[in-house]
Amino acid sequence: MDIKNTIKLLTDAKGVSGAENAACGVALDMLRKYCADAAIINGNVIGNLSEFKKDRKHLLLDAHIDQVGMIVTCITDDGFIKVGNVGGIDRRLLPAQQVTIHGKQDIKGVICSVPPHLSSGTQEVLKMTEVSIDAGMKKSELEKIVSHGDVISFDTSYSQLLGTRITAPSLDDRCGVASILYALELLSDSDNESKYNVTVLFSSQEELGERGARIAAFEINPDIAIAVDVSFGYADGETEYECGKLGKGAMIGISPSLSREISDELVETSKACNIPYQLEIMNGLTSTNADRFAVNRCGSKACTVSIPLRYMHTPVEVIDVEDVRMTAELLAAYIRGEVRK
Amino acid sequence: MNSYLKELCLLDGISGDEDNVRNYIINVIKDKCSYSVDNLGNIIALKKGRKTPPKKIMIAAHMDEVGMIVTSVRNDGTLTFDTVGGIDPSVIIGKRVRVGKNLLCGVVGSKPIHKLSSEEREKAAKVSAMYIDIGAADKADAEKYVMQGDCVYFDSQFITTDNDKIIKSKAIDDRAGCAIMLELIGSELEYDTWFVFNVQEEIGLRGSMVSAFSVQPHFAIVLEATTAADINGVSGEKRVCELGKGPVVSYMDRATMYDKELFRLAFDCAAQNNIPCQTKSMVAGGNDSGSIHLSGRGVRTMAVSLPCRYLHSPSCVIAQSDFCNAYKLVEILMKKVFD
Repeated sequence: MDIKNTIKLLTDAKGVSGAENAACGVALDMLRKYCADAAIINGNVIGNLSEFKKDRKHLLLDAHIDQVGMIVTCITDDGFIKVGNVGGIDRRLLPAQQVTIHGKQDIKGVICSVPPHLSSGTQEVLKMTEVSIDAGMKKSELEKIVSHGDVISFDTSYSQLLGTRITAPSLDDRCGVASILYALELLSDSDNESKYNVTVLFSSQEELGERGARIAAFEINPDIAIAVDVSFGYADGETEYECGKLGKGAMIGISPSLSREISDELVETSKACNIPYQLEIMNGLTSTNADRFAVNRCGSKACTVSIPLRYMHTPVEVIDVEDVRMTAELLAAYIRGEVRK
Repeated sequence: MNSYLKELCLLDGISGDEDNVRNYIINVIKDKCSYSVDNLGNIIALKKGRKTPPKKIMIAAHMDEVGMIVTSVRNDGTLTFDTVGGIDPSVIIGKRVRVGKNLLCGVVGSKPIHKLSSEEREKAAKVSAMYIDIGAADKADAEKYVMQGDCVYFDSQFITTDNDKIIKSKAIDDRAGCAIMLELIGSELEYDTWFVFNVQEEIGLRGSMVSAFSVQPHFAIVLEATTAADINGVSGEKRVCELGKGPVVSYMDRATMYDKELFRLAFDCAAQNNIPCQTKSMVAGGNDSGSIHLSGRGVRTMAVSLPCRYLHSPSCVIAQSDFCNAYKLVEILMKKVFD
């Protein structure tokens, strides 16, 4: 499996929270290679890896499939599209951004920027209610294509940067999806048997408050749950201890809300297998699906494994694909139980 | 004319770095007229018409676009930059860019929203809080590919609506003017006409200062793109001008008090030929007219501009009809100024 191509296919497909169909479809096709029973259940992609055995713990591997975006709230008489945010959008970067409106067909638009002679020196950022999209069409033309509730995504695409770094929208968390798929590939190549009954989840609506993970966790009822997501990648000017470094491996989460037992096992696995890793220390909730997994049903042992990412929730997210590979290696080694060799 | 526009817009050439645009233009005009390139890089072309007019007329547009320039390479391999030309920093953050001669893919990054305080989220980002990420591992890695002073260009698609009525691209200001001039140079003209393609408009109307001096015209028509604010939430005079209502002929902007007779002539010609034409409802902006009309002993100058939304951003938006009507109007004015 080519990691970069997998990420490209996953990020080319759109999946704004609540409208993940296209992205789910691509991820489902990829997952079926490893999980024959994979299906979309209530918006979540769920698949089981091989036959379950009674004496094994049930492990859930999760990455969310949705991405931040916007949603159509109104078409104005003068032919502009008014929107609400879906997930945490940085309104500072909206002006003059090219977007795709996912109506009956996809159409292109530009987010209106107020020219300098009107902003009169004020440096206030547009409120969401002040944001308009210009699709170059009249209201009557737009209404044939665009309806209330249609979603809008940033129109940027996957691109190679120097070395092993790439940029694309929705790398949060399609790169997590890719790392799980690559871990499954590594497991399928290995003779060592899995130590767990593994269920894979590509969950919906994470950006709206981990909603897909909530119902999927109830459905799956795992003993152990690992949320593979992204976290903050360091750049000059950031606080070092709050970030992971790009290219230095997966960030293993340690937090009061996570299972220290699982965090420790992940660290030991990394050490045992010489897989580079970093620690991500948090002081409570993690703002990932792990927050839902930990308190599912009677509770599960949850942990986070995060890929460092720069410019989160922007159209120009950046990662190092080596981190995706190392994250996959860690997950595969953990599932094979290489910590207990 | 549309293929000229598309090809010109997709070329990268910020102020002081117009080589790509200049080479393209020379390639188009070399067999159609005589031309020279001056010390600053302006193209000065003379296209012969059927007649030699009693006084010289010059048509002008600028080749440069707004962009950025690399100011330093940071330890982590990201690049600090400054703007070249007047750009609202809000249209830079979170955009894709191309960097340097090799057009490396880069992105404009800044602190993620999660790490901003609630006050910071409501304040427009400053250029000093942004940087360009080309994926370099560190400073030494970056320095293999870029150096201080490298130019940075918006990476933006040229797209149109399905009915081809609306066009979106970077650099429409002022490649649209260049495209109209290329079309004119390719046509049969009534009078001998000077065409100048200027450099460095965006950093203070620099190229036109010397090209106008070289040509010493009596009349000048400046082809431009100008701010249209006909967007939702903006009403009355603050809309300035509107897409689809024809080319904009100005009476005054921040750099020029335009020749009143020429101003009236433009509207008269437009009316006689059923060409829509508008003027601006605010005194705003400025263009090469500012330096041209003060060149030598003074030049009688008019500006014909395309109304353009989101000017000086990666996503300039114009109407195809305005583009065609600007061409028609200029073609007529080039004759009528001598009547």
